[in-house]
Parts: sequence; structure tokens; C-alpha cells
Amino acid sequence: MTDPALSDADPILVRMIRSVSELCGVIAALMILASVFITCQMIFVRLILKSSTFWQTEAVIYLVIAATLLGLCYVQRLRGHVGVDLVPGLMPAGARRILALFVLALTLLMAGVMIYYGFDTFHLAWSRNWKSESVWAFPLWIPYMTVPLGFALFFLQLSADLYMTVIGRDNPLAASMVPDVLPQKGDS
Amino acid sequence: MDPLTLALLVGIITIVVLFSGISVASGLLIVATGFLLVFDGVRSLASLPDLFFAELNSFALLSIPMFIIMGASIASTRAGADLYEALERWLTRVPGGLVISNLGACALFAAMSGSSPATCAAIGKMGIPEMRKRGYPDGVAAGSIAAGGTLGILIPPSVTMIVYGIATESSIGRLFLAGVFPGIMLVALFMAWSIYATWRSGDARVLSSTNYTWKQKFEILPKVLPFLAIILGVLYAMYGGIATPSETAAVGALLCIVIAVLIYRLWHPRDLWVILRDSTRESVMILFIIAAAGVFSYMLSSLFITQSIAEWIGTLDVNRWVLMAMINVFLLVAGFFLPPVAVILMAAPILLPIITVAGFDPIWFAVILTINMEIGLISPPVGLNLYVINGIAPDISLKTILLGSLPYVACMVLAIVLLCLFPGIATWLPDQVMGQGL
Amino acid sequence: TELRLSHQWSGNDVRNKIAEMVAEDVAAANVDLTIRVFGSQSLFKAREQYTPLSRGQLDMTVLPLSYAGGQQPAYNLTLMPGLVKNLEHGDRLSHSPFMAKLEDIMADDDVMVLVHGYLAGGFGSNKGCITKPEDVKGVSIRAAGKSFEEMLAGAGASISSMASSEIYPALQTGVLDATNTSSESFVSYRLYEQLECYTPAGDTALWFMYQPMLINKTTFESLTPEQQTALTDAADKAEAFYLEEGKKGDEVARQTFADAGVKIADMTPEDFDKWLELAKTTAFPIFVSETPNGQELLDMALAVE
Ligand code: NA
Ligand code: NA
Repeated sequence: MTDPALSDADPILVRMIRSVSELCGVIAALMILASVFITCQMIFVRLILKSSTFWQTEAVIYLVIAATLLGLCYVQRLRGHVGVDLVPGLMPAGARRILALFVLALTLLMAGVMIYYGFDTFHLAWSRNWKSESVWAFPLWIPYMTVPLGFALFFLQLSADLYMTVIGRDNPLAASMVPDVLPQKGDS
Repeated sequence: MDPLTLALLVGIITIVVLFSGISVASGLLIVATGFLLVFDGVRSLASLPDLFFAELNSFALLSIPMFIIMGASIASTRAGADLYEALERWLTRVPGGLVISNLGACALFAAMSGSSPATCAAIGKMGIPEMRKRGYPDGVAAGSIAAGGTLGILIPPSVTMIVYGIATESSIGRLFLAGVFPGIMLVALFMAWSIYATWRSGDARVLSSTNYTWKQKFEILPKVLPFLAIILGVLYAMYGGIATPSETAAVGALLCIVIAVLIYRLWHPRDLWVILRDSTRESVMILFIIAAAGVFSYMLSSLFITQSIAEWIGTLDVNRWVLMAMINVFLLVAGFFLPPVAVILMAAPILLPIITVAGFDPIWFAVILTINMEIGLISPPVGLNLYVINGIAPDISLKTILLGSLPYVACMVLAIVLLCLFPGIATWLPDQVMGQGL
Repeated sequence: TELRLSHQWSGNDVRNKIAEMVAEDVAAANVDLTIRVFGSQSLFKAREQYTPLSRGQLDMTVLPLSYAGGQQPAYNLTLMPGLVKNLEHGDRLSHSPFMAKLEDIMADDDVMVLVHGYLAGGFGSNKGCITKPEDVKGVSIRAAGKSFEEMLAGAGASISSMASSEIYPALQTGVLDATNTSSESFVSYRLYEQLECYTPAGDTALWFMYQPMLINKTTFESLTPEQQTALTDAADKAEAFYLEEGKKGDEVARQTFADAGVKIADMTPEDFDKWLELAKTTAFPIFVSETPNGQELLDMALAVE
């Protein structure tokens, strides 16, 4: 199995995409951490200071949404999106590669749809100055932007995976493979 | 096309797509997109990103990453090892002692958490590696946690019970109380199976070969204090008027991080990053599935598939227990594909009139429905707990997790049968506390 | 032709009933028009219906218009303290030049109203009874609506934002002292199990929310004249029913709380005036500063007798 960490010989563009995905992972992690602190701050303000908490709930929701979307590419990079890997595990390497190409192409298409229409919503929110309906009135284009952005970054990481699969140096279906079903051979 | 034929087609195609090895979330999004495009036209595609966003636009989802952080931070310290050391010294004579304490921990955690994947993640993070290290079969280690984790939505508080209460206008307080004894009964059934499975595997004798003195048993207890502090802190936050159920998760996460740093000296940024990285990976994976399942359930609803199946069940003129059996099968199948909240939101308003006309108690039915949803959580293709376990212990194959969970599914089916025979298991406590209802 | 109507309610809720009513009457008119009702948020989530409606991805909905207040700040006037005194007054507002102005704004989003209707609500508290501004000082409250939050904050309450599903456990454990929402929600969330005092909507009430049945305008215009007539006839009938049921809903809530042993407090016209004075210095100026032509719209609403 190709170790995702030992990839110095991989094309520069692929390595760059991976770095971007890893950076997104750090940002997503910090967003989740921030939502912990903000929720605790909200409890403190309500319980101890006895004052109003107008913005915290929405801020936390938007942070978790953003973390999810920006995290998509990072989790793809780590092969962390789980699937039912029973059938590919039983396939010979050649067939598994063709299946992987097909799966990647479909996923790329789906990401493309999300980017295209997600941008639409973002653009609407931005051009019409939509706000959240709370007292906080947060500009909605910011959370809406994370949909096309997150899927675009996901698209990039998928493209890198597709390229590596085409040149036969990696197989995303193999990476989430169950080791005791079939040892990986001929993939790298 | 007739919605029921369409339902069959969706079912087959979903199974085929998911079995290609594609990630569950992407697979659900692709199937949903495909069917919407073919049967609803291009205009529906424009809704997809909004639906995806809307599914995540909920404060209650916050508890998922939070309870994962709790588990991850406790797992990266000695706390887990200390706890199991203590449990082993105390439960050494019980075959399967550790799996029993794990199930107990799941039940305890379920009493703090409203969500099943979160319960599964928090206990599994510590429990699975420890059980395997001590010679428990992989199937028992993974299966017990997958099943024990499902208690999160049965033992109060429960997000799905709240959703059911709102959708059917039933008392949430009553619903919470109704889950208590069925929850305890399920824990007992799980434990009974675990003891049997461990005893059968023969490893239990190895485990119980050491004997500990009372001195050894008591001197380990202080090491369990941080863990108790967390549990008591979370229980106090939830029941002491500090925070709402969803907010409590954040208190627990902060408490765990603070204890990891202060008591277990986990202050190197690299250690903290490992906790955050693992939590982020698991959270994003689960939230992606939830959002995608939301889009998928929109497709099912939009093509009138869910409603048609439920209505079809309602039109059948059969004995009420046959009807109940059929409703159970429907819920079971829906649970295979959809997350509990989605099933409840779509099915409860349609099924409830059928249930009440047939003379069943809606509070009792909520418990039946919840146990069905628990089964769905540990059955493919959308078994959130299976994927949580897969995230925690990637080297245990899904097949092993599945086979390990099967006996626990049998326990749940047995629990449903027992609840049908003795509805009082669910309704006695709420009737005692809140008076005879409805 | 098939139209899809999405809303968030279920069962016997009046908003589900008017949706079913319109669907049945249109079907009975035999004009080749069916309305498929998707209740209980089974299609779109409660707060995510306005955008698909205005973009033609959804044909019809029943929703609190203020949910779209972030897109059209003028809609915040449909959940504004002090503008409506009782449901009859709300009905007069629905057919006033003020509402015509709002309908112009909706038309810009390709949305039009089929059924007008306000529903009322009240206060519930575990820290005494809430009838006048002094009663909320220091009280931790979850309010339904941005303008209400601004006004209550002005009265010295501490506002907690949380999901509606968490109101019940929050009241149970004491995270919240009080809440303010519709009569229907007070009953359906079973808040009488957790509250000590309830201020129902009566002859005088403070909390009113405009919750119309809407249709995508282009969709409506693409129907045949017969279909349009069938739809508007059904809508007129539903509107009369909506008003009567709204009043009954307030009575049901009062009775349910009384039966559950909850203390009932009534708001006097003097109390109402105190709230109105407070709103004039809190929620009103914020609304005016955020809304194009805000002052004009507000004055038009206040002018309705
Ligand atoms: Na629970
Ligand atoms: Na499942």
C-alpha cells in the first residue's frame, strides 16, 4: 500500500494539493475547538454574568458547518470517508483500479454540481446582502460560501487522487481496504 | 412511475452504488442527485447545496464533535488505562468483566449524551483498544461498543425522543422516562450475550488468572477520580440547570481537554494536535454522512417514496400485531438507509394515526421506534455507529464489526418482542411519575 | 398540474389544516390541479422554505414570514411587538395598505400571498408572571423573534438563543426561566408541564406572528384562469377558517394550561401600552435603521385601527 506520508517522488502539483488539504484540516480543527470555547463562553455569560447571549448559537452552528465543509478535502486526503469496501476488496487489482476511476469520476461530478449550485446560493446571499434572522444579523454569504469552497477543495483533492490512480501509483479504494480481506498487491 | 416501484428501484441502485466502495456520504449524494435529475428535472439540482447546508444548520449537531473530543482527549491520556486497570482489578472474577464495564460505561455515557454516534465514539475510543489488548475477540470488542453506543438515543436524554415528541405532540418528559427501563433491559441483554460470547471464546480464563488483593483494589481507585470528575461534571451541567443537552457536550469537551492538560500533563502542542486531528477526521466524516443523508431523504420524500410506503402499510387490513410487525419491518428498512432523526421526522406523523387507531400507546411506540433506529445504527449501508467504530479501529474490518454486532441486533429484536408482550416496561415509569396519560 | 406545498407542522395544527383544506377544495373543483402537502418538514426544513419558494423550486408553503427577515428586513414587521392588539386587528392589518406594501416586496421575490393570517402567543415563566416590562427584569428568557429579543433585552431580561427543541429541557433544568412563543407551540411542546405561570393571548396580547400561505408568483400565473379561481376560492375559505381557529387555539392553550394547574395571568391594556412605549425605544429604532423605507412601513402598520 502506498504510504500517504512517503510521497516525495509524487508530482509537485499533487503534493501542493495535499498541503492545501492538510492546511484545511488545521483550520477545520481550530474551528471545532473555537466552537467548544464559544459554547462554554455562552454558558458562562448566561449563568454567571446573567446577560444576553445573542450571537453564540449561530456562531457555533456556522463554525461547525464550515469545519465540516473545509474538512472534506482533509478527510479525503486521510482516506477517512468510510465506505462499504466488501466488493472492491474481493476484486483483482486491475478491476479494482477501473472501479476506483469510475467512483472518483462520479464523486468529482457530484462535487461539481455542489460547487456550481452552491456558488449560486452564495452569490445570491452576497449580492442581496442576506443576513441571519437573529439579532446578530450575521452576513449569510460567509457561511454559504463554505459550500462551494469546501466542495472545490474536495474536488481538488479528488482530482489529485484521480491522477495518482490513472498513473497507477495509488488507489483510493485500496486505502480504506480491510487488511484481512485481501492483502493489497500490484497497486504500488 | 408508481412510488412503490420507484422505492424498489432506489433501494437496488443505492445498494449497488454503496457496494462499489464509494464513501457512504458521496454515494448517497450521487444517488439522490441522479434520481432528482431523472424524476424531478434540473430545477431540483439547484436545491442540493441548500439542502446540504440546511441539514447541518442545527445546534444539536454540535454534540457530535464535542463528544468525540471528549473521547479522544481521554483516550490520549493514561485515564483510559487507569480506568481499565481499576475495572479489571474489581471485575477480575467475572468472565467478560471488561466488556461488561464497557457496556456499563456506554449506558452511563448515554445518560449524558443524546446521540448514539457520540456515545459510541466516546466509549469506543478508550474501550475498543483496551478490550483488544486484553484478549477479547475483535467481534465482541467492536460489536459491544457499536451496540452499547446505540443506547445514546434510548436512555435519556435523547435527541430523537425530542424530535419524536415535537413531531407527534407527545410529552418529552414522558418519552424520556419511557426510555429508562427499556434501556436498562437492553444493557442487561447485551451484558448477558457478552459474558456468553467471551466465555465461549475461552479468553476469559486468561483474563481472570490474576488475583488482586483488596489493597491493590483500593489503591487504584484515586486514579479513577478524574474520570468520575468528568462524569459528575457533565451530569451536573446537564441536570443542575447549567446547560441544555447540546451545550453540555461542549462543557464535557472543555472539561476533558482541561483534565488532559492539567492532570495528565498533556501540554505539548503536538499531543493536543493529535487529539484535535483525530476528532476532526471523525467528526467531518460523520457530519458529511448526516448532511448527505439529509439530501437523500429529501429525494425520498420529494418522490413520495417514504410516504407511499407508510401509506401502503396503513391501508392494509390486518390484525394489529401483524400491522405492528410490518411497521417494524418498514422502520427497520428505513433505518438501514437513513439516520434516525430523518426516519422519525418522515414516518412518525404518518404512522402515528395508524398506531393510535390500532390501539397502541404512542409513548410505548416511541420506544419501539427508537430500538428500531438503534438497529439501523449498526446495520449497513448507513450504520453510523459502524463507521464510528471503523474510524476508531480501522484495522478491524467492517465485516468483523458487522458479524460482531449481529448478536446484539438479536438482543434488540428480543427487546422489541419483550416490549410487545409487556408494554409496562416502557409505560410504567412515566405513569408513576407523571400520572396516567392520554 | 401538481403543486408541492411544504410546511413544518403536523396533525391537528391549524396551519396543517388550512394546507389540507386548500388541497381538498382545489381537488374538488375538478380543474386538473392537485396540491401535494408535505408536512412536518418532510421536504424542506422549517427555516429553509422561503428561498426555494422564491426560486420556484417549491410551489407553495405556509410559513412565518419573519423567517425570511434576514433576506427582506421589512418582514420583521410581521413579528413586531405592539403592532397587533388581537386577531381581529391582525385581520384588518392583513387587508391594509401596509400589507399591500409588503406584498409588493414579496412580488419582487416572485412570491404572492394566498391566505393571510396572524397567530397569537404569550409568555410562560417560572419566575412570577410576565404581564408588563418590569416582570422580565433579570429573567433568563428565550424569545421567538428578533424584535422581541431586542425589546425584552431593553427591559433588562437576559436573552438566551437556543433551538426550539431545547426549550423544554432548558425550562426543566432551570437553564431558562421563561419563554415567549405562539399558543400552538406552548401546547405542542407541552410547556405546561414545566411552567408555573402562563400569560395567554386574550383580548389584549403582545405576541403576534404573520403566518401566511404563500405561492410562487410565476407558478400561479402559469395556471389556467379556472385553476387560479379554484385556488383563490379555496384560499378565501381557508382564510376565514384560519382566523376562527386562531382564536380557538388561544382558548385551547389557556384551557390546557389551566387544566395542568398552571397559574394564568392576563395582560391589561395598560400593560400593553407599557410594552409599546418600550418597543418604541428598542425594537422600532433598530428596525428603522436596518430597513429601507423602514419608518414609512412602520407608520403604515401603526396607522391601522
Ligand atoms: Na442518551
Ligand atoms: Na443502517
